[in-house]
Amino acid sequence: MKRRTMLGGLAGAAAGWTLPAAAQDEFGSKDLIAAAEKEGSLTYYTANFAEVEQEVIKAFNKRFPKIKVSMVRAPGGQLITRIKTEAAAGKLAADVVNHSDRGLMVEIADLFQDYTPPNASDYRPDALVSPKFWPGVTLGWSIAYNTQLVKNAPKTWADLTKAEYKDKQIGQVVGPSGGTTWTRIMFERQVMGEDYWKKQAALGIALYPSGAPLSDALVRGEVSIAPLLYNIIYTKIVEGAPAEAIFAPEGVPIIPYADGITKTSKSPNASKLFMNWRLSKEGQAFAIKNLGNITSMKEPPAFPKGWDPKVIKVWVPKFDEFEKLRTSWLDEWNKIYGYRQ
Amino acid sequence: MTATSSAALPETIEPAAAPRRWGAPLWVGFLLIALTFLVIYPLLMLLFGALSDSNPVVDGFGNFNPSLEHFTNVLGNENVHYAFLNALAACGGGTVLAVVIGLAFSWIVVRTNTPFKRFIAGASMIPLFVPPLVAGVAWSILGSPKTGLLNTVFKWIGIDFRIDFYSLWGLIIVFGIYYAPYVYMFTASALQNMDPSLEEASEVSGASAFATIFTVTFPLIAPAILAGSLLSFVVMLGIYGVPAALGAPANISVLTTYIFKLTAWAPPLYNTAAAVAILLMMVTAILVWAQQRVLSGKSYATVAGKAFRPRALNLGPWRWFTFSLAVVYLFIVVVLPTVALVIAAFRKFLFIKDFDALFDMKAYGLSHFNSVLDNPLTMLSIWNTLKVGVFTALIGGALAFAIGYTVYRTQVSGRRSIDLLSTIPVAIPGLVVGVAYLWAWIGLPGGLYGTIWILALAFVARFIPDTVKALSTSFMQIHRELEEAAWICGRGLLGTIATIMLPLARPGLVASMTLLFVLAVRELGSSLFLYTSDTTVMAVLLLDYYEGGNVGKTAAFSLIQTLILGVLLGMTNWLSRGAAQSSARVG
Repeated sequence: MKRRTMLGGLAGAAAGWTLPAAAQDEFGSKDLIAAAEKEGSLTYYTANFAEVEQEVIKAFNKRFPKIKVSMVRAPGGQLITRIKTEAAAGKLAADVVNHSDRGLMVEIADLFQDYTPPNASDYRPDALVSPKFWPGVTLGWSIAYNTQLVKNAPKTWADLTKAEYKDKQIGQVVGPSGGTTWTRIMFERQVMGEDYWKKQAALGIALYPSGAPLSDALVRGEVSIAPLLYNIIYTKIVEGAPAEAIFAPEGVPIIPYADGITKTSKSPNASKLFMNWRLSKEGQAFAIKNLGNITSMKEPPAFPKGWDPKVIKVWVPKFDEFEKLRTSWLDEWNKIYGYRQ
Repeated sequence: MTATSSAALPETIEPAAAPRRWGAPLWVGFLLIALTFLVIYPLLMLLFGALSDSNPVVDGFGNFNPSLEHFTNVLGNENVHYAFLNALAACGGGTVLAVVIGLAFSWIVVRTNTPFKRFIAGASMIPLFVPPLVAGVAWSILGSPKTGLLNTVFKWIGIDFRIDFYSLWGLIIVFGIYYAPYVYMFTASALQNMDPSLEEASEVSGASAFATIFTVTFPLIAPAILAGSLLSFVVMLGIYGVPAALGAPANISVLTTYIFKLTAWAPPLYNTAAAVAILLMMVTAILVWAQQRVLSGKSYATVAGKAFRPRALNLGPWRWFTFSLAVVYLFIVVVLPTVALVIAAFRKFLFIKDFDALFDMKAYGLSHFNSVLDNPLTMLSIWNTLKVGVFTALIGGALAFAIGYTVYRTQVSGRRSIDLLSTIPVAIPGLVVGVAYLWAWIGLPGGLYGTIWILALAFVARFIPDTVKALSTSFMQIHRELEEAAWICGRGLLGTIATIMLPLARPGLVASMTLLFVLAVRELGSSLFLYTSDTTVMAVLLLDYYEGGNVGKTAAFSLIQTLILGVLLGMTNWLSRGAAQSSARVG
């Protein structure tokens, strides 16, 4: 045996041996892990931010270094079109798909295989829309502000209708930008009241096409306050940006993603192991601590900074309303905020 | 030898048909087949999408339910009207500015004795390397009404004036200064190839230098000016990055940002996007038709068999004025945005409270560069991009030369169809055409999908109009008497092309291949659908950084991209100049 192969084998064996029996069950059986490592690679399609998902892959590879994960990233709608077209041509390259819009994923559920993670019972039932899809990623809405510009920081969703924050101090992602924003504005209307949008729009709101440019605008000082998905602003805060984010007591709207393994997967075992790890306590805790995610687990393995589980409640939209109300409510939202779709 | 002797009479000949009777139809057939594959087939997919609710690959052609609903929806939607008017205003204003700047520059560089002309010529092309998204980001850093660096400087100096680039004017100015090189490229080569005796004649007849410029010089290069302004207008219509960065904060939408919304959001409305795209194509078709009407029936041949040297006008002390104009332009278009990008790339965060905070060195570091270079996709995307760029330039350059020659230098039947087919893609916005290519080519046998080649083919198809139009001025300027001379000397068609056309059109060919390379490196819209994990390209990675809200990394990566492009283009320029000099010595 050549030296390098021998060392590689030893390292692999060591990694395998270091997994305690319980952990092995958490991620999958010995046989699954061996079969996954034999396959050695998988292709991962994601609508999430590329850099974030690269961190996930790195962390997965710390645990399972023998499985190479190749990633394809595209914005939500474009990713779906691509998956549909590739599948129809018999050329779907994805083994695992990670998507924020559960409605769109349910439409193409036929392309996915049945899958259940070892810790399936740990997950909230309202975060699941199909037995094929699991929330590998769960994001939550926070209220972020620029610490250099805001003297009296908002503490609640209700604060975002106060006159002291008028004249485009508040920035917002436009309603029709996708499922994540639609979840938030649905929460605003259902929980904060029918007139919440009107009161807020009357302040004069700066509108942004998506969350990432808005988070950047907040750090630069273009706007002072913005509702933002916590993971978008979290890494910036950790790196020392002049920003802070809080979770409001009225509720944190969360977005459970729909992740699944394709029927045509060429690496079904590696895909299962990847999904198992992401859905495991270890995977979820990693995402909460390092990426600013929330989790759809009933008993979260960790909490984001400033999250008091006694005070803060997560809010999950009812899936049928999520689909049914979307068009008419967004039309209203566009009118109230003066947004030309 | 009747064909040859009759060829001496330019008005009556059919030059290409004469040497090869069977060759011409075969050749035209070949070009038409290539263009059908590259243009018509994807376009049909797009029409299919616009006229139905289905995805042709997923649902199959059998499930085609024709409906004009998308068109009527689009035509009746007041937001589309608003986006359409904004697009016309921004691109129209931008084109006027681009023509003024581009024309002034080409005149200064080619026709005057302004000092440091070579440097000015080289530096004025820099905006072309800059991806529109990066230009938009750079100008939002500079010109934001609240946090713009320029406003910070004004405040520090004590000037009460504030600029606001989040406006229609902001779009017009940024479009104008960034797309001036298009006009410059066309007009500079036209001015270079123009026989100065025409201008001398004007001056001998008593016209002033100023009057000569406007009555002789510019009218003579009208095809180049029109081609340059048409191309820059249409290219502006298709740009997403600039209006996304500058228009969005002010809620100003244009057609591309509107289309992007339709395709990127969930659920994606490709069929509506396709309908908007087809409207955009109609506008372009009308413009192209108008351009041809204006130019038809006039001769613009200014390169004849007589030897001449381009004349440089002696401006006397005024040459320092033209020099300072060039310096101001370069400062605005190169130095300022580069400074903004450098600040963004090296600064950990872009929160700049006041002017003094700019010089707080603790706020700077290499963290963005480290994380970009640490990303394994960075090197992969650079390597892939270079491969795609070279393939695109070579295949596209050869195809454009073939098309350009057939359309502009022969009378073969079918050349008008070739001209039309090769002009169509200019009007299709990249964001929509990407999905058309995916629909069209994914099912092809042979495993094209998932390779670098599918990207190269998409870029060739998408940029064939730009390349052909860039070459066309070179072709139109070469007088037929030069080819005729070669035929009289017994050269065949291919021999004539090799000994006359290729060497004379070489500056144009090199310029258009360079343009193609740059466009391929920057192209995002069609890449987004055709790249796979192994064939990811720089434009896709750049969008990932931007969409991830990382202006610092976006800036760092775009500086790396600009540097690579700059080095490569510098080398190309140096090599082609070397080759030109050696061939001049041989000649």
